[in-house]
This record gives sequence, structure tokens and C-alpha cells, in this order.
Amino acid sequence: MRTIANRVKRSLAFAGGVFFLLFLSVSCLDESPRDQLPEEKAYDSATNLYLNSVATLYNYIGGQADGEGLQGTIRGVYDLNTFTTDEAILPTRGGDWYDGGLWQSLYTHQWTESDEPFQNAWNYLYKVIVMCNRSLSNIDRHRSLLDETQRLAYEAEVRAVRAMYYFYLCDLFGRVPLVVSADVPVTEVQQSTRSQVFRFAFDELQAVAPLLPAERSNREGIYYGRVTRPVAWFLLAKLALNAEVLTDDQWTDDTRLSGETLMFEVDGTMLDAWQACVAYCDSLARFGYQLESDYAANFAIHNEASSENIFTIPMDKMLYANQYCYLFRSRHYNHGGALGLGAENGTSATRSVMLTYGYGTGEVDCRMALNTYADTVRVDGRVVVLDDGSPLVYMPLQVAPDLSGSAYEKTGGARMAKYEVDRTAYSDGKLQENDIVLFRYADVLLMKAEALMRQGLDGSAPFDAVRQRAGMPVRPLTEENLLAERLMELHWEGWRRQDMVRFGRFHRAYDLRNPLSGEASGYTTVFPIPGSALELNRNLTQNDGYQERSK
Amino acid sequence: MFRGNHGLLRLAALWLLPLCISSARAQGDSVALSPPPVATGSVDRVSAERMNKGLLTRSLDALSGQAAGVNVSSSGENRMAMLTSVRVRGTTSLTGGNDPLVIIDGVSSDLATLSTIYPADIESFNILKNAAETAQYGSRGASGVIEVVTKKGRAEQFHISYDGNMGFERVYKNLNMLSRQSYVSTASALGLPYNDGGFDTDFPSAITRTGFVQNHHIAFSGGTDASNYRASVGFMDHNTVVQPQENDNFVAKLDLLQRAFNNHLRIDLGVFGSSQRNHYIYDDWKLFYSAASQNPTISKGRNASGGWTKNSTASQIDHPVALLDMKEHERALNFNTHMRLTFDLWRQLQLTLFGSYSFNSTETQEFLPTYVWAQGQAYRGEQKGEDWLGNVTLSWKHDYGMHHVELLGMGEEQSNQRSGFFTTVKGFNTNAFGYDNLMAGATRPYGGTGSSYERPTLASFMASAKYSLMQRYMLTLNARADGSSMVGENNRWGFFPSLSGEWDVFREAWMQRLLSGASPGVLNILKLRCGYGVSGNLGGIESYNSLQLVKPNGIVSYNGSPTTTLAIARNANPDLKWETRSTFNIGADLGFWHNRLLMTAEYYYSKTRDMLYLYDVSVPPFTYDKLLANLGSMSNSGFEFGLGITPLEKKDMQLNINVNLSFQRNKLISLSGRYRGEYMTASDITAIGGLNGAGFHGGNNNIVYQIVGQPLGVFYLPHCTGLIRNTDGSLSYEIADLDGNGEVNIEDGGDRYIAGQATPKMTLGSNISFRYKDFDITLQMNGAFGHKIYNGTSLTYMNMGSFPDYNVFADAPSHNIHDQTVTDYWLENGNYLNFDYLTLGWNVPIRSRYVSSLRLSCSVNNLATITGYSGLTPMINSYVVSNTLGIDDKRSYPCYRAYSLGVSLAF
Repeated sequence: MRTIANRVKRSLAFAGGVFFLLFLSVSCLDESPRDQLPEEKAYDSATNLYLNSVATLYNYIGGQADGEGLQGTIRGVYDLNTFTTDEAILPTRGGDWYDGGLWQSLYTHQWTESDEPFQNAWNYLYKVIVMCNRSLSNIDRHRSLLDETQRLAYEAEVRAVRAMYYFYLCDLFGRVPLVVSADVPVTEVQQSTRSQVFRFAFDELQAVAPLLPAERSNREGIYYGRVTRPVAWFLLAKLALNAEVLTDDQWTDDTRLSGETLMFEVDGTMLDAWQACVAYCDSLARFGYQLESDYAANFAIHNEASSENIFTIPMDKMLYANQYCYLFRSRHYNHGGALGLGAENGTSATRSVMLTYGYGTGEVDCRMALNTYADTVRVDGRVVVLDDGSPLVYMPLQVAPDLSGSAYEKTGGARMAKYEVDRTAYSDGKLQENDIVLFRYADVLLMKAEALMRQGLDGSAPFDAVRQRAGMPVRPLTEENLLAERLMELHWEGWRRQDMVRFGRFHRAYDLRNPLSGEASGYTTVFPIPGSALELNRNLTQNDGYQERSK
Repeated sequence: MFRGNHGLLRLAALWLLPLCISSARAQGDSVALSPPPVATGSVDRVSAERMNKGLLTRSLDALSGQAAGVNVSSSGENRMAMLTSVRVRGTTSLTGGNDPLVIIDGVSSDLATLSTIYPADIESFNILKNAAETAQYGSRGASGVIEVVTKKGRAEQFHISYDGNMGFERVYKNLNMLSRQSYVSTASALGLPYNDGGFDTDFPSAITRTGFVQNHHIAFSGGTDASNYRASVGFMDHNTVVQPQENDNFVAKLDLLQRAFNNHLRIDLGVFGSSQRNHYIYDDWKLFYSAASQNPTISKGRNASGGWTKNSTASQIDHPVALLDMKEHERALNFNTHMRLTFDLWRQLQLTLFGSYSFNSTETQEFLPTYVWAQGQAYRGEQKGEDWLGNVTLSWKHDYGMHHVELLGMGEEQSNQRSGFFTTVKGFNTNAFGYDNLMAGATRPYGGTGSSYERPTLASFMASAKYSLMQRYMLTLNARADGSSMVGENNRWGFFPSLSGEWDVFREAWMQRLLSGASPGVLNILKLRCGYGVSGNLGGIESYNSLQLVKPNGIVSYNGSPTTTLAIARNANPDLKWETRSTFNIGADLGFWHNRLLMTAEYYYSKTRDMLYLYDVSVPPFTYDKLLANLGSMSNSGFEFGLGITPLEKKDMQLNINVNLSFQRNKLISLSGRYRGEYMTASDITAIGGLNGAGFHGGNNNIVYQIVGQPLGVFYLPHCTGLIRNTDGSLSYEIADLDGNGEVNIEDGGDRYIAGQATPKMTLGSNISFRYKDFDITLQMNGAFGHKIYNGTSLTYMNMGSFPDYNVFADAPSHNIHDQTVTDYWLENGNYLNFDYLTLGWNVPIRSRYVSSLRLSCSVNNLATITGYSGLTPMINSYVVSNTLGIDDKRSYPCYRAYSLGVSLAF
């Protein structure tokens, strides 16, 4: 009996011991991640602090997923600025490109708050802004790693990126929340007026410009792809040029303050919007930017040496994941096939842009052939043929929002050219070597011409320079000619919506489009706040003129 | 292809059928007691006798339709994929962890591993559905538990057996597209430009073949009470009717038992290994879409110049036969060993030490040739998993007169290490290397190569007490605490208690008195049971979800060199905690006439709280627009009914009829709550799935939604009032202005309504077997009712707007619809009754010294389907919440039958 009792005791002790060991082992239920890092470890030196709080932001200028990136991807910022205008159209072509009516509604302005590109653009732009806010707080928290100059430079670069994104937000959505620090609770995220957002972006860029490196960003090397001082100047010029629109808090009342009454302090001098624009354009000229003698050089496969490009998205099929989908999306299948690349047979130039080029007349603008493919298509000197053996002929004037069933269903509309075709590109041509041009000096000259014209001064010199470089005879600088010039010179560059709004054309009839009823108020010049944003933050209210559906 | 007017009639017929079957009772006069054909008690045990007998190509096939509330279905993407999904009482979580926990001989495992076990090695499946039973698995039991018990050695003389079967599979139904002749004549009549390649190809059949299946299995066993063993090897090979798809599986298994020290110690050792090879269809949706809609005048094979002629105006599809060359090959190795030491310490006190180690590795190899993928692409990746599990159990039993007590305490720890790497190369100038020499590719793009590592840990303590009084009243109490490294630091531990009771009314003295007047055996089972318990689910969480971590986010130019930068990977939620599910169940078991009529019925209600979901969050202030958080709740309720009848039982003849019915209701109660003190809500209406293909990118093509207040997966669609004639004579879908605002707007929240649910309200499994002397015949039926299917395939292939770029149904030209707007026009009833298999068997009466039994059988699988659904098959994904739920969208795997012969031989 005793031995049994002992055995029980021993066994229980053994069992207890096992339980105890187990208990010890569970006290370590912590994870030690190996394929990801705790945030603090990412900022352990001045270099890593720069890489992971500043340089990391440049991953988001371009993109590869839909709606991510300022340019290059689809269904995001670029599409909102392009397919809503007289510059480009994505016609429904039978079974292709109906996509639930998305492209047609962009063209006709019958969009609603739940359309995907609005949500894409909003989430993308704010993602970068929130990341900037986090970066600023991380730089501050690890300031001991930096000397004063470094800290100011790091912060300046982040603040410049943030201001640039607020410029896009203010332009697209008008009244947006101004969030400038990390860890703000949702309840405190409230809309600011459009003019407040504008002022913030302008003031920030002015404040940080002197701290940014005075270097070219488009050239390979230390400053490649970064927001440098000229990039900030360009944005300041853009903001000033659009100040009338972007400071207009009541854009549906058909009145706005004149640029002459909007005052900005530039280098200690009070200037009105037009003068401020000219001042920043001049800074860029003094810096040494100049027109390339060859328009096409700015869009060549190797365009990093351009003296005209100011800010670009670096592209390299071996290194970066950024994509450029627009050539792929535009050209006909057989056109892509002849190039050894893919194609989606979509985007076309509108009739009105082709007519502006002078298509079908004796005087065709030289840029038409550089920016578009029209008529019979040749690759390597050979005519591209369709599957039935007939030649591929793009029909520039046979284009409409819906081409289904028409004889030109597949061939209607001139297509996008602009960028030199990189035949070695990967991913159907989307991973190309040509850097994507966001800001360039020809735009600066046209901005200056416009600002001078608005002041009643002579803007013909910069205007003529752009025309002459294109190989075209000079024209008088009028509002009409300037808008046409911007259309031809900056075709496919993502500026058209802003230009049309500034010139008061966006909500009027143009190309094949008739205004919507009620559009005369100008409500469509600002996009609706995305329905998803309204739903998730009950502080936000919809912009004037749009139905608020989700509340 | 149009919906008939007989839908209601058909529905009525479908509902009546099971009733007819159940009323077809006959009176027998035999009194021999056969094993209960349906399981009674709260654990549903599917033993070898109850497992499916037709041609089985994976172990889960054996379970399909046999247990109420258990739906074995495809994971949605590919109906024929090896890895099937199982839902026990429907979907209980939004994010993940909806597959039941699989426990194989005490080792926690998964469905993929289960699918590698040879069906003949399985002794039984125990399906745990009620919280009282699942609570013993704590945090992992919320979605039900399948305990698999494999066959072990027995104390008997040496036995060896072979069983195997061979069969072939033939397509019996495929899509009927325009043939060359009608394609050409239609296009000419409409004056549409088309390409004439000069051939006449039936592409839907060009990608199919006669499938072939073979399974072989040898097992032998022997030993004594003190030491015995069982060993088996099996091989399964399956070449499906669609060309590139092939699976084979080699499996070996060994179990040993040894008793020692006067039976005070018992050692069980099990070793299991399998090697599986799977060739998948790289992109099944694109393959079937391409096969159906390819221009039929194009050549089936390569053209004269050795390339593939493409229909360049149909950008969304490719040459179907060329697509068959896209390789997606997988090799999965799985090894498991476990050992259990059971010490009889003193009387009924027992200590068990259990440990197991599993290793699995899955290598994926892909190659996309240059003629289907610009510049070609190859991918190789390997995922390795190592799982350690150890537990200690102390249990004690005791009887004091009419009291019976069982106590159990357990501690357990398990750790799962997952690591993997992958690499992608592009830029091939020859397809000759395939994926076998990645150096043949010119470039390795950023993001195409990577590796990963994680090692979450789970620790648990459990105590359980069982008490029974006079064998009539039984009470079970379970308490389990689980700690996981994956949840937030402050919420590490979850507590999961459960309580259940059972009352054996039959044993009551008053019951016996009541029955004394009746003939003996009229009633021989009457049990009532009831339980309540809480279980947890962490399936939606991955390692590190609660930590704010950074990882590489891309390459930028830094000081002129490409440099990797880091960024936060997601919105972290440090408060992440356990999703919990509480379940209440009440049920009864009844047996009449010596169990010739068995009935079991159970009602359950469960509520999932703190539901893990990737909630939409406001950007700003969040960086990303999703946050994994515990906010919402969802309920599931249902009624399960099982019936087993033996109307005929004689020496030479026996008829058994089993029916199980399961009614399920699911409701998404809320998707809002408090996060860090702030009220937060997700969208009330979120699209789950829509249509794809030409002209369906984005826009208003969503079909199935999750809507708060509704069952998970409802059809939310514009209403079509009929077809209207356009000016050119073609037809369009006329859409109703449901909100009466004078304009038609088919966006979410506009002119849409809830048109039905995607998951069945009722499922049926029924098995009828009849034996005459040495012959037997078994028919298995499965059905699902009360749900709908969106026939996106017909919407697409009836749209003449995409013709002639894309081929259309043979009857599309006569209907002349020029529209592909999503409306409820193509929403159809999904009710069906499927005759899964019919098996005819002969137990050959051999009198031999060596051969102890010989059985020959032949089976036909996928015999027939009764349905009102107009598409190829109603058996699409109607269970698993994914982007394919309820939507038949050109993913048209042809319907096929399998014919097989089987031999079982034992010595």
C-alpha cells in the first residue's frame, strides 16, 4: 500500500513538474518578428532615418496598382484629370471598355460619389499625406541622430511632398481635411475650406523651398526623383496661377476673387497671384531650365538628360515597380502586337483635340504626329494589318463615348503617342524606361504667358518660344490661343481639367459633350467627396451640387 | 437557355422528393439489431460503414453529404481542385478561420493534410458541432471540429488486404457555342466584320479529354494485445477531364502499439508521410472563358508558322489550347509523427504525455510561355511548415454507487513555424527551359523575389468535469484558457467555458412503466440534450497583426544608387483580440422498433462577437483604408434533422434509408463598434463578388454583397422588368426605377434591391442502400435549396454586343440581346438534387483457406442532377464566402461522369 502511495506521489510530482514547465514556457507568448522590423529599428542611424522616413515617400509618386500614383496607373488622379475633359476619351468598344459606364460618365460628367476613381484618388493622396505626418513625427522623435541642418533638410523634403499632395487634393476635391500631424483621432478630422488648404500648401512650399537642395531632380544622381527647390517653385507657380480657383470657397456661385486681389509675400515683396506666378516662373528660368530643341527628347526612352523636365517619376524596368499603362491602354491590339508589346485598344484623343491640331486641314500642328497616332499605322516602316489582312487605320474623327456597333468600333479615334515606344519594356510595355514627366519647363513658359496676359502685360515672348520650338508659326496671345496651345503642348500630361476649370470651360459644352442640367453653377468643377470617406467620417459633408447618398 | 415557367413546379417536386422517400417505409419482421445508420448523440460520428462508397479521389469525398450541417464543397475557384473547403454549420466569421479544425489522431492539422490521407485508412470522422464539444479545442474550435481517427492495429492474426479502383471520366455536358457555320452566317447577316481563320473548332471540347482515375491501397496488420501494428501504403492518381489538371498522391502510414510494465504503460506511435503532386490549371477562369468565347474559325493547333493564331480583337481571352501550356505545378510533402505515453498511475488515475511533430513543404513551380505571356515568366517558391505540439493530460474516473465522475486536466503548447521563399524571372527568349533553369530568364524584377518567416505560439490549459447520475443525468463542464502570441499584448488570453447536459429519458423508471404496455422494442432510445459554450477563432489573424512593423516597400534612387526603403505595412491594431462564438444547442435522439427507425433532431443558435474583419477606416487619419479589428457580430441558427429507416431487414434482404436535413440561417448583425474609444463602423453594403471579362471592369458589375442585417452573401441587384426593343431591333434589359426618383441609377444604394441569398437555406444528404444476398446497391444524393445563382455565364454569352469578337451561345443570335448590364434577369433559383453516385457491389462468396473476403463493385459518380437552373450545373460555390460565392461567371468546368470498377481483397 505504501509503495502504491509513493508511486502516486511520484507520479503526481512528475505531472506537476510537467505542468510547471509548460507554464514557464507559455510566459513567452511574445513574437519576435524576423521578416519585418519593429518600427523603431528602422530609424537607427541618420541614413536609415532619411531612407525610411523621407526617401520611402518617393515610392508612392508613381505606382503599379490601380489608383496608386500621380501618373502611370489607371483609375486614379490622372484619369480624373484627363477623361473628364476635351483632351481624351475612352470609348466603349463593343464588349470592351463599357466597365459599368465608368468612362462614359467621366466624359459626360455624370459621375457620382461612389465611382471608384474618387475613392482611389482620395485614399492614395491621403495615404501619402499620413505617411508624411508619420515621417515628421519620426524625424522629431529621433532628432538626436541628426544635426540641425540635417533635421531641417529632412523635414523640408517631407513637408514639400505633403504640400504637393495637398495641392492635388485641393484641386480635385476642394474642401478637404487638413491633417498635419500623426495620431489625430477621426473625430478631429474635419474639412477645411478650399482656401485654407490652398494657403497651407502655398505657405509650406514657400517656407521649405530655401531648405531644399537647389538641384535638378530629373537627372540621375543624388537628387534623382526627389522634390528639390525647383520642384517647389514649379508647384508655387502652379498654385499662384490657379489661386483664383483654389481660393474660391463658394465655387457654385459663379463668382471668384480676381487674381489681382489675392496677395502673396514673395521674397519680402507683396505680389498678386499673377505676379507671384511670374516670379516663380522666372526663378525656374534663372535656374537654367530651358526648352529642349526637340520636343520628343523630353519623352524619349532615355529622357533623364532633358534640360526641360523638372520633376519626373524615375522608370527602370529592372529596378522600379512603377508602371506606365497609358500607351498600353490606348493602342490597338495589332499595333501592340507589331511592336512586340501588349495593347488594350482603348484611350483616344477627342475630336476637338484633333481639330485643334488642324487634323484634315492644310496646316497641321507638328505636335499632332508626336502626340498621337492617326490614320494608317506603321511600325518599322511596315503597315500594321488587322487579323483579316486589311491595314490598321485609326479614324481620328470617328470617335464618340460609345462606338459599339459602329464600323469604327475598334479603330475609331487617334491614339496616344507622346512617349517613345520602349520595345524592350516588360509587362506588355508598362514597365518602360522612359521617365514619366510630371512637371516641365514648357508648362512654366505657358504659365508665365498666361499670368502676364492676365495682368494685361505682354506675354508673347514665352508663348512664342513654345510655339517656335514646336516648329509652328507664332500666333497672337489670346485666351483662346493660349488654351489651345496648352492643349497641344501638354496633351496627355494630366493638366487639362485644371486648365479648363481655370478658363471657365469645364462645365460648359465642348467636344461632343453637352452640359448637365444644373451644371452651370460650376459644381462639377470640383469632384464629389468619395462616398466611402463620408461614410467613415461623419464629420465630412458632401460638396455643393452632389447628392449625398450614403447618409 | 431562358428560364422556363416551371420553376415553381420543379421546386415543389424537389421539396416533395425527400418526403416521398421518407414516407416509403415498409414493415419488416426481423428483430436483428443492426448498427444505427445515423449517429445519435451530440457528436456526429461517420464511421467507415457510413462513408461514401463511390469513386473517391480524396478523403473528404468520403464525408460529403453524410453529416447534417457539414458541407463539403470546392474552395470556389476550381470545383475540381484537390483542396476542398468544408463548412460546418455555415460561415461564422468574416475574415477567416471558417474551415473546421481538423484533428488527425490527436494532432491538430488542416484540410490539406487530411486530403492526403487515403480514404481506406480512415476509421471514422467525428464531427463536433456543439460548443460543449468544440470548447475543448478552445480558440480553434469555433468553426467546428473534424476529428479523424485512422485505422490502427488490432490484437488478431496477420491480415493483409488490397483495395483499389480504376475508372474513367467523360464529359457529358458542355457549353453550346456558335459553330463555325453559324458564326460566319450570323456575322455576315449582321454585316459585322469578322475574321475567318478557315477552321471549324469546338473549343470547349478542345481543352477536354477522357479523364482517368486509379487508386490502390495495401494494408497489413497483426500482433497481440500487448503489441500490435498496422502498416499501409496507398497511391492515388487522377487525371481530370480538363487537360493540364493531374493529381497524384503517394501515402504511407505505420501505427504501433506496445504495452509495458504490467500494462501500466501504453505506448502508441504513429508515423505518416505523403507526397503529393498537383498540376493545376493556371487560370481556370481565363481558360474556360477563352474556350467558350474564342472565334470558332481559328485553328485548334498551331498555325503554319508554328505560332498560335490569336483573335486580336478579343483582348480578354487567349487561344485556349495555348493556355493549356501555362504550367502551375505543385509538389507537397507531408510528414508527421506522434507518440502517446499513457501511464496508469493508480486505479483510474491516468497520465498521458503526447507529442507530435509535423513537417510539410509545398513547392510551387510556374511557367508562362512567351506566346501567352509577353516575354514569358517563371516562378518558383517553397513554403515550409514545422509544427510542434506537446500536451500533458491527467485524468481520473470514479464510480460511487450511482454516481460517476470524470475529471481531466490538460496543459498544451504548440508552435508553428512557417517559412518560405520565392523568386520570379521574366524575359525568356526560349520556352524550352520552362521553370527548370531560372537563369534562362533575363531579369528578376523587384518584388518578384522574397522570403518570409513566422512562428506563432499557442498555449492552453483545460479542465473538464463530467458527472453522471444513475446513467440518466449527465453533466459536462469544460473550461479552457488559450493564450496566443498573435493577439494584442493586453488580450493574450481567452477563456472558453462550456456546459452541457444530457437526459436519458428512456432509462427513467416511469418511462419503462409507460412502455410496459407496448410491445418490447417499440421505443428503445429517447435522449434529450442541451448545451451552451463559448469558443474562439483566430483564423482572421496573421502573425504580427497587432504590432506596428515596417517592411520593404520599394526601391528609390538614393545618392544615385537604387536603395530599398522601409515603410509600415498596414494599420496595426494593438488591441486585437479573440473573436468569440457562443453557441446554444438543444436536441433529442429517438429510436423506435429496435432502432429500425432512428431520429435525431437538433436546434442551435450561435452568435459571433468581436468579429474580426478588415474594417474600412477613414483615411485620414489612418494610413491605409483597412484595419483588422474586433467590432461586428453575426448570428447563425439552424435546425438539423437526421432520419434512419430500415424498412426491410431479412436474412437475404435489407433496405436502409438515411436522410439528413439541415436548415441554416445566417445574419450579419453589425459591423460597427468601438475602437480605442471611438465609434467606428464599416460600410453597411460591401460588394463581395462581381463579374469579370470584357466590358465588366469596375463600374456597377457587383452582384453578391454583404449587407448588415442580411445573411452573408445576398444578391443586391437592379430589377429588370423585361426586355425592351431598341431602335435597331436589338433587345436590352429594362431596369426599374426602384427608388422612384425618376432616374435609373444602378449604383449601390441606388436602384438595387436584395433579391435573394447565395447560400442554401436547406441542404439535404440522403443515402439509400439495398442488399440482396451478396449483392448490394447504394445511391447517394445531395441537394441544396432556397438559394439563388447568378448566371453571369449566360449574361455574357447571350450578349450579342460582344459578337463577333467573342463567340456567343448558339441561341444568342435569335434572342438578339445587346446588353450586358447586370440585373436580376439572370438571377435563377439554385435548388438542386444531385445523384452523387450509384454503386453496385458483390461480396463474392469465396471459400478459401487464404482469401477471407472479396468484394467487387462498380460505380457511376455524378449520375444526374435535377434542377431548374439553366446553366451547366448548379453546383457552384454556394458555401464559401469569396468573390465567387453564388456567381456562375464563365468558370464553366464541364459536367462529367466517372465510371469505375473496384476490388477489395482481404487475406
